[in-house]
Amino acid sequence: FFQSSDFLFKFLVIGNAGTGKSCLLHQFIEKKFKDDSNHTIGVEFGSKIINVGGKYVKLQIWDTAGQERFRSVTRSYYRGAAGALLVYDITSRETYNALTNWLTDARMLASQNIVIILCGNKKDLDADREVTFLEASRFAQENELMFLETSALTGENVEEAFVQCARKILNKIESGELDPERMGSGIQYGDAALRQLRSPRRAQAQSAQECGC
Amino acid sequence: PAAPLGFTDEKKNSRNTYEVSRRRSAPEHLPHGGTAPTEPAPPPQEPAERARHRGGIAGAGSSFAEFFTRNFFTKRTKELKPAVQSAPGWKLFGKVPPRENLPKDSKIIQQEYEARTGRMYKPPPPSSRRKNIEFEPLSTTALILEDRPANLPAKSVEEALRHRQEYDEMVAEAKKREIKEAHKRKKIMRERFKQEENIASAMVIWVNEILPNWEGMRATRRVRELWWQGLPPSVRGKVWSLAVGNELNITPELYEIFLSRAKERWKSFSETSSENDIEDAGASVADREASLELIKLDISRTFPSLYIFQKGGPYHDLLHSVLGAYTCYRPDVGYVQGMSFIAAVLILNLEEADAFIAFANLLNKPCQLAFFRVDHSMMLKYFAAFEVFFEENLPKLFLHFKSYSLTPDIYLIDWIFTLYSKSLPLDLACRVWDVFCRDGEEFLFRTGLGILRLYEDILLQMDFIHIAQFLTKLPEDITSEKLFSCIAAIQMQNSNKKWAQVFASLMKDNKEGDKNHSPAPKS
Repeated sequence: FFQSSDFLFKFLVIGNAGTGKSCLLHQFIEKKFKDDSNHTIGVEFGSKIINVGGKYVKLQIWDTAGQERFRSVTRSYYRGAAGALLVYDITSRETYNALTNWLTDARMLASQNIVIILCGNKKDLDADREVTFLEASRFAQENELMFLETSALTGENVEEAFVQCARKILNKIESGELDPERMGSGIQYGDAALRQLRSPRRAQAQSAQECGC
Repeated sequence: PAAPLGFTDEKKNSRNTYEVSRRRSAPEHLPHGGTAPTEPAPPPQEPAERARHRGGIAGAGSSFAEFFTRNFFTKRTKELKPAVQSAPGWKLFGKVPPRENLPKDSKIIQQEYEARTGRMYKPPPPSSRRKNIEFEPLSTTALILEDRPANLPAKSVEEALRHRQEYDEMVAEAKKREIKEAHKRKKIMRERFKQEENIASAMVIWVNEILPNWEGMRATRRVRELWWQGLPPSVRGKVWSLAVGNELNITPELYEIFLSRAKERWKSFSETSSENDIEDAGASVADREASLELIKLDISRTFPSLYIFQKGGPYHDLLHSVLGAYTCYRPDVGYVQGMSFIAAVLILNLEEADAFIAFANLLNKPCQLAFFRVDHSMMLKYFAAFEVFFEENLPKLFLHFKSYSLTPDIYLIDWIFTLYSKSLPLDLACRVWDVFCRDGEEFLFRTGLGILRLYEDILLQMDFIHIAQFLTKLPEDITSEKLFSCIAAIQMQNSNKKWAQVFASLMKDNKEGDKNHSPAPKS
């Protein structure tokens, strides 16, 4: 339970109402589908330590309300986020069309180097699909996002989404592209790293493979 | 094809709020969360209608029971009615059904067998079998097959013996649990009985003395003290209505007008949306449609564990109507998430039109208007006033939060938007509403401080993320007595200034404090 960690990343989960943000978070943390969930008012939280390539990363996840009206509130939570899950619902065109707005907000308000993974959720409802895999992956490519289709119901790709996002941030730290010591990077050293007082930027020669896109 | 669940005869009973809130606070009546109900599964020879009904209620949140009844009984009974009813040798809990060795079409038997094994029973790995016996006797009922259908190899003696043994184990487990449950229920019943006596005597006072002389008595010390104890559920709605008032002069007729307007809108909306995604007029139309969609979506996510506001539930349409009428009545505010909880609590306590009138007037109070319009700068004033009293009452915890830059918006937004009805158990939330109706907005913030006080010791041990998680998802076992004694201990006085004065002075110095500090991650 009190697993020490090398890093602490602030993560956001953003996207329109009803796309399954809280369910994704619940599935990620509890490994269960929450079928009687409320809608999120304001913000809810989750945290989990994951092992990414031998490093322990603690994710501090801010799960935000989806309704447009709450934007002015949730925007204030973007600052200092290192990673984000941008969620749409593959059975709702509308949630897909809203992505550009969410993206603009995230890029503008979170840290400049924020790593965003696009999640097409409700993959299990393939029969009601309104957004094809191809067009979403094109959108992701154009906007330099990683991309996965996920299902909070079955758990498919849920853990992967968080892990891939974290891995990319770690890669950026290792390549020196991201500096955890810079204010507002959304990254902090975890307790383990602090104890050992070692530099995480010991650039590793093996350039880690890119993930996702 | 999801068959409509049979809720109609629940309607009359569950109008009683007390009943509903008791259900919420005594979850043994409404098993959810995946554990098997203590009640055994409806045996297959039970009429499908009843089985479905029962499954729908008992399995409100339980995916398995629901799956079982919906998918199996509704569908299967239609397709294979004769076969199911005469199924021999399938022993469930209770008595062994009499065997009828009717000649059966082997094809039907085969189909039936496949359907059962396929849908109901997947052989669990040996290690998890015990777990299944303990927690989901439902799922292992298919094991208790005494003889296999004729076209399959017969069971070996050992296998039959094992099945018998496993069955006995299950029954013993279930019995044990039932006895334990019965003891617990008895204790709860005793407490409830005492509670009910108090409620009954309070009710007499409210009905006979206070309500007839409302204006004269509402502010007296005696009434205020009685009020603090919580309103008897039978007068709750009435008192809320009186206390909230009707400044807006809304009549039931006016409600009907806005409701029919809302209905028109739904109709035209569903017509246009079924046509196509034609590039329609301005953003306002899209926005309005989005909000209509959102109401639909949110209703299903309002008190989901009660299972009365969801589609097919008895209050689904009511909630839809009240929220729809409100968006027509106040297009400047529209539907904002959180409203569905407030409307739901009102619907549980008031008749439809009265619920709407209370809803509209409640949301017209300055604090609610500021929040539901998401007027960020006004909200920050409320948070700042809250912090003044936070520091005054709980200085240690205040500094602890400060050290993590944990701002009150993180937990207060949910609490204020839903008036605690999402975060506290429903019966407790109603008691908070009672006193909120007595004391106004200040009590909402006082309640927040009461919660912080109640958990102060735990919170002082926690770091940022754990505090944030804790406060946005409070423990479910929070009790009324404990919380209210903590609220009572909160002084809403800051160097002789009361809430209203503190708030007013914050409103004056408009320049300061407009910046919200967004916390960076804290470990």
